Amino acid sequence: MEGKRTVRKIVVAGALGALSIALMLTPLGMIPWFAGASLTTVHVPVIVGAVIEGPAVGLCVGAIFGVSALVRAATAPQGPIDLFFVNPLISVLPRLLVGLAAWLAYRAFRGKLEPAAAATAGVAGSLANSFFVLGALVLFGAIPPATAATVFLANGLVEAAMAAVLTLGVVSAWKGVESRAGKAKLAREE
Amino acid sequence: MKGIEFFRNVSIGQYVDSKSYVHSLRPSTKYLWLLCLMVPGIGASSYLGAALPLLLALVAGAAARIRPSFLLRGVKPILPLMVFIAVLQFLFSWPGDDSGVLFALGPFAATAREARLVALAVIRTVSLMTIVGLFTATTSEGESMHGVEDVLRPLGRLGLKPQRLALAVGVALRFVPIIAGELEDIAKAQASRGADFGSGKGGPIAKAKAYLPLFVPVTVRALERAEAMAEAMEARGYSEEGRTRLASYPKRRGETFVRIAALLACAAIFAIDRFVQGL
Repeated sequence: MEGKRTVRKIVVAGALGALSIALMLTPLGMIPWFAGASLTTVHVPVIVGAVIEGPAVGLCVGAIFGVSALVRAATAPQGPIDLFFVNPLISVLPRLLVGLAAWLAYRAFRGKLEPAAAATAGVAGSLANSFFVLGALVLFGAIPPATAATVFLANGLVEAAMAAVLTLGVVSAWKGVESRAGKAKLAREE
Repeated sequence: MKGIEFFRNVSIGQYVDSKSYVHSLRPSTKYLWLLCLMVPGIGASSYLGAALPLLLALVAGAAARIRPSFLLRGVKPILPLMVFIAVLQFLFSWPGDDSGVLFALGPFAATAREARLVALAVIRTVSLMTIVGLFTATTSEGESMHGVEDVLRPLGRLGLKPQRLALAVGVALRFVPIIAGELEDIAKAQASRGADFGSGKGGPIAKAKAYLPLFVPVTVRALERAEAMAEAMEARGYSEEGRTRLASYPKRRGETFVRIAALLACAAIFAIDRFVQGL
């Protein structure tokens, strides 16, 4: 039993890591927002991983996501912020915390109000992403604190709302799949 | 809706196939060099300290028969971005910045501290870009996967299993083209049904809802694929005990020396960094 869960967790972490890389590489990961700014959904797979498979998977997806962001920033930079993403303390470390934050938020509400728990996890994970990435950028002198605060308020809060909607959508769809007849009888007899 | 055709072959980093000595080093040695150059590249507080890792990476690149122009090709497209960062620093001021004003324009002023931050950021970025570029140019995806396992092996004593992370990374690399293709398929399918991603009006919640028909199926299909793969692996008797690898990385002549040199280089850069304070 233990071994079964492990293989599944590893593979789910890999698949969600691949999803966040794919979202990062295609324009679909970015949702256009006003004035040319865009909102990212790239960190949502990290949150989803943390919610459905636990903190270890969240950490793992976060690591895959962070490292590929770093490599992309170094080999094919897209925007001004990519200049600083070559620093793993900015691109990788904050992303490890995303899964952790999402899982903690999910655990607080789990069982009682499943939809609320998933949405809260989305908000917490997304806010952790904005907060720690912007915080690291300020620490390394990339952007002044005032800019970081503006971006956090303008972009971070909206991204959190979006992450909540998307996480809720995915988690309820997935949990629905799991509980419905789609899942074979054999799986229940384990 | 623009850009519906995505990259058919997505890859991160560019591996340059070659038979050089640098290429043939073990992945763990390459990780050690990566670390020993990146840490000073980030931590150095002087211009020279941040530039030395760049220099070493270019030397190692020459040994690996990779032209400096290949490693530095990413620098040209980011020049306008660097100007943007400089302007940003100029427009906003840091609280408690009492360094001398270099020049002022109306209410905005460029201080010595801001100039230094920009210069350091530029050197640091070019350094790190070159180091990561060198690593991905000399290490194939499979090697970097096995390298993760080797490097993290000491964590096994703490009960963590590095081969699990390595496997997850391997699965991710395999899944990227599949999932990118799936994103494309579903985006097209939904667009043909009249879905509108992005250009629609409404607040963030409305926009997120417009994305649900894309995001949910893609994620759920990725999870289903993962589930099928896990079952297939179990059916074939996958187990963590006693696994062997197809690829082996024999120790090269002088490899120990190369590893010690990495640590020495790291220490030397930090020593020089301290010595030339502020330069």
